[in-house]
Amino acid sequence: MTLAPVEGAKIRGPKRASGPWRLVLGRLGFLVAALFGVMTLSFLLVSVTPGDPARLIAGPLADETQVTAIEAELGLDRPLGERYLDYMGGLVQGDLGDSYYSKQPVIDEIASKLPATLTLVLLSVALAAVLGVVVGAVGAYFRTRWPDSVGRLFTGIFQAVPDFFLGLMLIYVFFFVLGIAPAPAGQLAFSETAPARVTGFIPIDSLVAGDTSLFVSSLKHLVLPVLTLGLVYAAYFAKTARTTVGRALNSQQVHFARAMGLPERTVLRYAFVESRTTIVTYAGVIFAALLGGEAIVERVFAWDGIGTWALTGILRLDLPVVQGMVLVAGALTLITYTLLDIVVGLLDPRIKHA
Amino acid sequence: MPDVFAAPKGRQFRLLVKEHPGATMGVSFIALLLLASLVAPLPYDPTATDGSSSLLAPGAQHWFGTDGAGADVFSRVIAAARIDLSLALAGTLLSLGLGLPLGLMASGKGKGSEWLVRALDAFQAFPLLILALALVSLSGNKLYMVVVAIALINVPRYIRLMRSEILSLRESRFIEAAIAMGASTSRVTFKHLLPNVWGIVLVQTSLTIANAIVVIASLSFLGVGVSAPTPSWGGMIRDGAGNMASGEWWIAGFAGLAVLLCVLAFNQLADAIGDRTARTYR
Repeated sequence: MTLAPVEGAKIRGPKRASGPWRLVLGRLGFLVAALFGVMTLSFLLVSVTPGDPARLIAGPLADETQVTAIEAELGLDRPLGERYLDYMGGLVQGDLGDSYYSKQPVIDEIASKLPATLTLVLLSVALAAVLGVVVGAVGAYFRTRWPDSVGRLFTGIFQAVPDFFLGLMLIYVFFFVLGIAPAPAGQLAFSETAPARVTGFIPIDSLVAGDTSLFVSSLKHLVLPVLTLGLVYAAYFAKTARTTVGRALNSQQVHFARAMGLPERTVLRYAFVESRTTIVTYAGVIFAALLGGEAIVERVFAWDGIGTWALTGILRLDLPVVQGMVLVAGALTLITYTLLDIVVGLLDPRIKHA
Repeated sequence: MPDVFAAPKGRQFRLLVKEHPGATMGVSFIALLLLASLVAPLPYDPTATDGSSSLLAPGAQHWFGTDGAGADVFSRVIAAARIDLSLALAGTLLSLGLGLPLGLMASGKGKGSEWLVRALDAFQAFPLLILALALVSLSGNKLYMVVVAIALINVPRYIRLMRSEILSLRESRFIEAAIAMGASTSRVTFKHLLPNVWGIVLVQTSLTIANAIVVIASLSFLGVGVSAPTPSWGGMIRDGAGNMASGEWWIAGFAGLAVLLCVLAFNQLADAIGDRTARTYR
């Protein structure tokens, strides 16, 4: 007996968008909701935390009237609800307020400093990923033998060292002792002037300006900070890669591939394909963690990015700057996670998203 | 690998040491450091400055050299353990005290716990160090805010960890059997679930101490939290940062080394506990 469709019944097609589109749309919807949450939180965190910025700006010698005047000038005397509506209204129009100190719009300051940070973070994640995955994969392949032990020793040490301290040690070794690295004075040496701003990325701008020596100098200045962050985060990568690749090397399809007599290279490729989603996810997570997380390293190398800018802002209670940093880092992190979900979903169709 | 606790009592300790040499060295180092900072007489007063002996290299007189103000770096590194380690422990205890009950609460199957985890995800999207820094510096540099900041960073980690572990434990047979035998929710929670997550909670606690040490060092490196005359590792790295480019590495060097060794010790301890936990359940 065969099962025939009931007379008159229609086969029901999917009602909602399906496949990759559904994934993309769903994630984007969540992103919008989450961004709203980040905006609200960035306002609350700064407005509700105790502390008296007006008094701090006025200095210890100011009297009450001066403090009240500063409060009125900064709009801090108005009720919380009104300030919130104002803040959100401004955000929608791309207005993040003005810095209390420089009086410049926060959005302009962020735009001018973001490229320096992005250069540093992107290169560091790339170095960390390559170095970490290689060390981790070698460790997994030679599990419990000497390459694994050496890898784990370095992983353990670099995981334990605070990144800003590693940066200082690298400055001592490569600048003072060996003299091969430039002084930690930022993206360029003190004597050099930045090229005309085209993209905001100094290495690219100096190429656009046709100044090769400036380009080389900007690359040299990148080496130590990228090495600092790259080494520390490579350790995290290596730990994850060792576990993931190790599990993949022990999986049934790899055993099967070996049993079928496939060359070791092909077997290894299979293992990598199996572990790539985890590694891509981890790269995204580390990228997000570094935005804002590398602030102290920026400061060590006098790097003129949003990290240094935010630290200075926080230390002198420049509220719009703190809000701007929290907002930008939060938003960039959410966008990264959204892209990550989409990329991982496309790479690995087995993963189902709500 | 022989099971340590099957051996006669006298040999247990020796086997533990042999099995986890890293963790043993780490714990001994921390114990020694704490002991030295609390009771041992320091060669110099850690807060005394002496302009005539500034920036001396390590030698017989000053084992770790002296800093720009002429204070003895060795005495300062040891004395700093007092405030740095006790703040780290306080922060960890607060994280544990909040994270444990919240983690249990978030491990229910209801809609509420799902939303809580979503909210935590959004919260962790913030740059936590910047947040901690803002919190401490906006509060006017109060030490207890450093402890709060550590909890702020680490409580979400406890919640997520316990939730994922307990959700998978809930599916196991012995929980099902306990519920079928009529055990109350609190009995299931405290008699059956909690003992089975102790292992990972201990691992997380060791990692939290390590994280707290780094957070405290980062804050005091930026001049927030523990402030000037009190010696702290982060503060010493701050003092010595400028000297790195001119060759006096020892001011920041030994303080950084202390942070590194402490973090390494607690990481090793976490590894060892994790190892034992994994073996017990296998």
